[in-house]
Amino acid sequence: MSEFLEVRNNSVLVEGFQVTDGIDLTVREGEAVALVGRNGAGKTSTFRGIMGLAELAEGSVRFEGEELTELRPELIPVRGIGYQPEGRDLFTGMTVEENFRLPIWTSGKARGVTDEDAMVESIFDLFEELDHRRDTEVQNLSGGQGKMCAIGRAMALDPDLLILDEPLEGLAPIVVENLKEYIREIIDRGISVLIAESNASHVPEIVDRMYVIERGSIVDSGDPEVLIEDPEIQELMQGGGAG
Amino acid sequence: MAVAAADLLLQSVTDPSGWVIHTLNGLFRGFILFMIASGLTIIFGVLGILNLAHGEFYALGALLFVSLASYLTGLVVAPTDPASLLLFGVLVLVAILVAAAVLIPVSAVIETVLVRKIYDRDEVYQLLLTFGLLLVLIDLMKISWGPGTHRPDAVGGESLNQVVDVIPMEEWFGFSYSSYAIFSIFAGAVVFLALLWFFDRTKTGRIVRATAINREMATAIGVSSDRVFTLVFAMGGFFAGLAGAIHSGSAIAASADMGGDALVLSFVVIVVGGLGSIRGAFVGAILVGVLSRWMTWQQPALELAAPFALMVVVLLVRPEGLYGTWGEIE
Repeated sequence: MSEFLEVRNNSVLVEGFQVTDGIDLTVREGEAVALVGRNGAGKTSTFRGIMGLAELAEGSVRFEGEELTELRPELIPVRGIGYQPEGRDLFTGMTVEENFRLPIWTSGKARGVTDEDAMVESIFDLFEELDHRRDTEVQNLSGGQGKMCAIGRAMALDPDLLILDEPLEGLAPIVVENLKEYIREIIDRGISVLIAESNASHVPEIVDRMYVIERGSIVDSGDPEVLIEDPEIQELMQGGGAG
Repeated sequence: MAVAAADLLLQSVTDPSGWVIHTLNGLFRGFILFMIASGLTIIFGVLGILNLAHGEFYALGALLFVSLASYLTGLVVAPTDPASLLLFGVLVLVAILVAAAVLIPVSAVIETVLVRKIYDRDEVYQLLLTFGLLLVLIDLMKISWGPGTHRPDAVGGESLNQVVDVIPMEEWFGFSYSSYAIFSIFAGAVVFLALLWFFDRTKTGRIVRATAINREMATAIGVSSDRVFTLVFAMGGFFAGLAGAIHSGSAIAASADMGGDALVLSFVVIVVGGLGSIRGAFVGAILVGVLSRWMTWQQPALELAAPFALMVVVLLVRPEGLYGTWGEIE
């Protein structure tokens, strides 16, 4: 597996304040990687920095050899990175299907998605639960369905890498299990996944490697099965809970 | 008060044409206001900017129409038969559309060169910039057209709206009324339906809505917010210019400083309807237009106060406006 996302020495600014400090992180082709940390540790800021949605004080983001920090942010999804933000951020007043089609309308041609209908149907094939709700306006979806819709929208441009920001947060246990299954299916489709989680116990079932982030810095990385048994990591995560 | 109300009721029974005529006047004014306010509201909904210079787009459309209509209708003789009348009507329509279309590049350049620089600044900067732009545009129009009022040149001794007075209102409905105003009401309705269709049915319209709902997420799915903002600003300019062009074809004279009143009333309209709402702008404009024209007829002293009284009532009862979306196009 070759490395195709390389985040090097990233320091993200939020409203002029530096919130991450020299983040180094890689994802290899076909790999599933987690970024685990408590609320406020810097997971979302790291992801926003990758997507060009947050300003970087310093650092670089290379994807398939191309420096993304030099690109306009709207070109990053065209390069093959899909993004599900933490708060879902669906386009309210529009249906599930419209939310799936919007990325294709904006960038489908540039991304090489030629068959819009086939792409949309492939997303509904994955998230069967949304199939009968395709004409439902997204504000009327349940929490889990909303997360599925946000992930489905991120898949509409046929991404090579999917960045999922806390997709399991705030969901009922049965829904969490369903979503984990969906994410594993996405990985089985050959899409690399970078996933943020505040609950480390979910991670080993999904990913190959994990990073631990605390106060804006990566403090450890490695095999998730090993890391979540590490007393230091457990202590670090304590008090984080779902946070 | 009770006597006045009784008189009004009696009058409406004995002479209903008064109500009809003044309601039609209100609809005409309402549709003109809607075309101006629709641009103002979509610019606010998507860009988050209250464009104080928006009324000048309306004034510029009006003055451009006066020049274009005078030139084009001057190329033909006064209509004497249905064919020449049709040609005249087509020339007027061309003048309206070209005048409005000029506003597309004008507003696109203003957005790209000036407004784009201050999206991330405090609202005070936005208000200062657009107010400065308002003053500059007024002076530029005064330099180009002169400070007075302007009307399209008369054709065969008749004003433009008299020439196109082709609907036999007296014969059909028992009262006379301007055909030009009827056409304008129809045009306003078409603009309303076209805007609904654009935002509800077209891909571009839904991309614009997505940008209004969540600019950052729209970027994350590949939307160029710069392009969307330019498109929206140009659309707003076009519809304001269209309103000015249509309005100056009626009995209203065009002038460089006609934008101020239009801007203020458009603010009333979008506050009543809900900032960012197309449907709200439509309902608000019709309410303001009809109410002000009824007041002109029955209580002229209250003509200016009535729309603001309506706004105050709406703000007290429903602060988000009748269709309150506050920043999302709907």
